[in-house]
Amino acid sequence: MITNFDKLCGELEKQELEAPNGVALPSTYAQLLAIYLYQNDLCNAKFLWKRIPQNITSSNPEIAAIWAIGQKLWKKDLAGTYQTIAAYTWTEPIANIIKALEEKVRERAFNLIGRSYSFISLDTVISMTGLNKEAALHVCKERKWELDEDGTTIKPVPPVQPAPLHTSSEDQLFKLTEFVSFLEN
Amino acid sequence: MASSLEQFVNNVRTSSASGHFRELVEMIGKSDEVLQRNSAHLSTVLETLDIQQHSLGVLAVLIAKYSVPQGTTEVDKTNMYQKIHEFITNCNGEQVRLAPDLYAELCHQLTEHLIEIKQPIRGIELLKKAIKKIQLFDSQLTSIHSDLCQLCLLSKCMKPALEFLDTDVTGIGSELGGTNDSKHFLLYYYYGGMIYAAMKNYDRALYFFEVVVTVPAMVVSHIMLEAYKKYILTSFILHGKILPLPKYTSQVVCRFLKPLSVAYHELATSQHAAIKHRETFVRDKNMGLVNQVLNSMYKKNIQRLTKTFLTLSLSDVASRVQLSGPAQAESYILNMIEEGEIYAMINQKDGMVVFLDSPEKYASPETLCVLEQQMAACTKLHQYIQEMDEQIQVNPQYVKKSAGSHDEDMPATSQNSKNTYSM
Repeated sequence: MITNFDKLCGELEKQELEAPNGVALPSTYAQLLAIYLYQNDLCNAKFLWKRIPQNITSSNPEIAAIWAIGQKLWKKDLAGTYQTIAAYTWTEPIANIIKALEEKVRERAFNLIGRSYSFISLDTVISMTGLNKEAALHVCKERKWELDEDGTTIKPVPPVQPAPLHTSSEDQLFKLTEFVSFLEN
Repeated sequence: MASSLEQFVNNVRTSSASGHFRELVEMIGKSDEVLQRNSAHLSTVLETLDIQQHSLGVLAVLIAKYSVPQGTTEVDKTNMYQKIHEFITNCNGEQVRLAPDLYAELCHQLTEHLIEIKQPIRGIELLKKAIKKIQLFDSQLTSIHSDLCQLCLLSKCMKPALEFLDTDVTGIGSELGGTNDSKHFLLYYYYGGMIYAAMKNYDRALYFFEVVVTVPAMVVSHIMLEAYKKYILTSFILHGKILPLPKYTSQVVCRFLKPLSVAYHELATSQHAAIKHRETFVRDKNMGLVNQVLNSMYKKNIQRLTKTFLTLSLSDVASRVQLSGPAQAESYILNMIEEGEIYAMINQKDGMVVFLDSPEKYASPETLCVLEQQMAACTKLHQYIQEMDEQIQVNPQYVKKSAGSHDEDMPATSQNSKNTYSM
């Protein structure tokens, strides 16, 4: 069940700002922190972590656990990220967000590998994506990345750009008219 | 004593009822002494006035109630937040817009109070509301903006300020402009720059610091000095060197700021400046930015390598950029590829990097889209400038001045503006 995280994010932010005495519920903080990580908005996540009152962070280990992921992401330690995610048993509704986060991080890692490596060792792929060997090989096959003869090196292919967004010719004509009329006047 | 207070209440009631708000503003300006003297009775006065109908009167009373008069130290501020919250939510926007200076004063008081009790986050939503109420249009800068930014910084909750910071200012509230104090104007851009720097939007941060430094000035403000230091650091992070200040920077700025920020200039020439001037940086609370600068130096060096080499081994990269080893070089390059700062392919099999040219061919629909957006922005900017130009041309003061110098230097232009005026 994937809900609209952006909308939830806005609601949570509002809850925090309108909280009496400026301190919101621990569950609000936890969800907001997880969503910031999901959005890869590390700056905001960092400041949220810094502004959560200390007594809340110490009495809610889940918040600290979420931020532990944030720290790994901040340092771009992908292998550590998956380990930290796996190391804690998440409760709802956080578990849902964390699951989405993990998938997103993995997706980003695959795209990054595709863009930046011509040859990469299987071990690196495994540590960057946090998958086991079979699963990693399976995804590589799906993406049509070839395994080299030596059996340990993979040849990634850059990810294909998403299909270009198509604008109607009417729309383009409209913009062109506006531009020309601006130049004429 | 009490009678003068009564008179004040009566004045507020009659003027509000008859709609003579301008006179009321004048009257209020003269009566703050009366209010201050009767501070004990102000709560009773507050009860007799209606927030919606007598907004101006309530505003004046609230300010007097919560400002600390000289000599005494204690003012009861327990209900301050609730009272001001109630006022800002319910007051009549039309009335308070006639006294923007008082309105801003109230917001400044609230900000100070919230900082004092260490609950800055509570004021963010309220000040956002306050700004929207007093603004005539979205891109108008008021002195309350600086308060909002300050609260956002103090509560480490930056996101709410961004919607205001992202709007380019095209007008300035009357309490900020003219001969008034430029403190809040400078502070807004200084705090704004800090918020953008915290969000790692260095482009915008640099622009905001530049605005602070380039404000026309006869004397240098301390805010400008601090902004200049941060300007240097942000410029390093973004461009790897200090960008020269624009030509319209005031002379005093160049003359005074540079000698006062020697440590920062040294960063450009010496590798060890960060360690040598560590104390200065820590004292200025700029150590975080300095560390960012050092980090970005590695990136700049790697970027420079891409200009010279087509292929390079990872260990060569490490030794040329002075990194600890091939593994660190690989992680730097990987991060830079992710950020889109360089284009390269790493070959783990033989430990080589191939530097590529940007794959952008400037022929995609995205490029067209960007181009269209830029063109729209330029058209809009042109419109603004034209509007401002028209406003200035019909400004009586301008016309008087330019008509005065009629025979001397620019007969053609003054002729023009005269025509506009007569039209």
